[in-house]
Amino acid sequence: MAATTALLPVRSENRLLNALSIVPGIVLLAGIGYAAKVLERSVNGYAKAHHWTFPNIEYVLWAILIGLVISNTLSIPKIFQSGIATYEFWLKLGIVLLGARFVLADVLKLGGISLALVVIEITLSLLLMTFLGRLFKLKPKLISLLAIGSAVCGVSAIIAAKGAIDADDEDSSFAIAAILALGALALFTFPAIAHSLRMNDVSYGLWAGLGVDNTAEATAAGALYSDAAGKVAVLAKTARNAMIGFVVLAYAIYWAGQGQAQTVTNKAAFLWKKFPKFILGFLLISLLVSFHMFSKGQVTSLGNLSKWAFLLTFAGVGLRTNFRDMSKQGLRPFIVGALGEILIACLTLGLVVGANRIWGL
Amino acid sequence: MSTDKPTATPSHKSASLSLDTWAVIAALVLALAVRFDILKNVSW
Repeated sequence: MAATTALLPVRSENRLLNALSIVPGIVLLAGIGYAAKVLERSVNGYAKAHHWTFPNIEYVLWAILIGLVISNTLSIPKIFQSGIATYEFWLKLGIVLLGARFVLADVLKLGGISLALVVIEITLSLLLMTFLGRLFKLKPKLISLLAIGSAVCGVSAIIAAKGAIDADDEDSSFAIAAILALGALALFTFPAIAHSLRMNDVSYGLWAGLGVDNTAEATAAGALYSDAAGKVAVLAKTARNAMIGFVVLAYAIYWAGQGQAQTVTNKAAFLWKKFPKFILGFLLISLLVSFHMFSKGQVTSLGNLSKWAFLLTFAGVGLRTNFRDMSKQGLRPFIVGALGEILIACLTLGLVVGANRIWGL
Repeated sequence: MSTDKPTATPSHKSASLSLDTWAVIAALVLALAVRFDILKNVSW
């Protein structure tokens, strides 16, 4: 007992040092985010003042571009790494707070449409990636990881599945690198295609949420088009994330049946463990707003806090995308991923256009 | 290193909360701060 109490100050000190270690990286994220906001205002203002025909580059793109330039031209000192990794926390915080900008009726209507499309998208993506993986003779568990990553929610789904199907580290890093590289490409191609097709905000938001794999990139791809599209992209992506447990469970049962993974004994506990809990936070905030727990000004404040959290996320998306590292991961998984993603993008675009005709989005 | 061994103290338990849970807690704290006007007129 005496030994335990003597250890407590050491542990508290370690915890304090751990907490302090994330500060430099967070300051870097905030600095890039703020620079992006300043650049958006000043570049657009300068172009307007001088009557230049210049594309309106939003803070989202500036934040990603600054991050990309830093991560691909400089070697980021170790002191910043743990703070940069918090971008996922800011993403989830931003999504929960975004719940304030949806009344429950919107969530039910758009979320219901999203869920219906998500089920079709997941089925088609799993079949397609499995077919392509077998065609290119990838390892079976790598095929499973790529299929789960592209069908559900990118990196989180791959990490969730890795343990459940006993995949090795090499396969997981292949799949993660492929999904991240393709997500980075989607950031630039999705908005360009949507502009050329003159898609409306809701249709585009649904497409970005269904077609872009990683949640951070889907959020950024939506916000790059418009604020309204960003909101819908997050909702559609959240509906997709909610399915993670079911898909990973199905694969875990399949690989256990093959004798290559542990048997899942308690399926309900497995589903709860894999369920992304931040979705419940999003729904709770949306519920509180729907019951008028916040004034109009307070809802605006919550929406703005969500935007600040996303700003740090977008800086992190750029900073953690290193094309040199990704190119080292091998070409075949990337080709399978790229082919699959292009086809999934076309399929989801078709789904959204169809939904637009049926429900008039 | 014996100092790295976890003990069953409540503070250790709280450190093992998932990222999702921390995000929800942080969002609820911010929502309460906004609701009770501790955070007012957050601009963008």
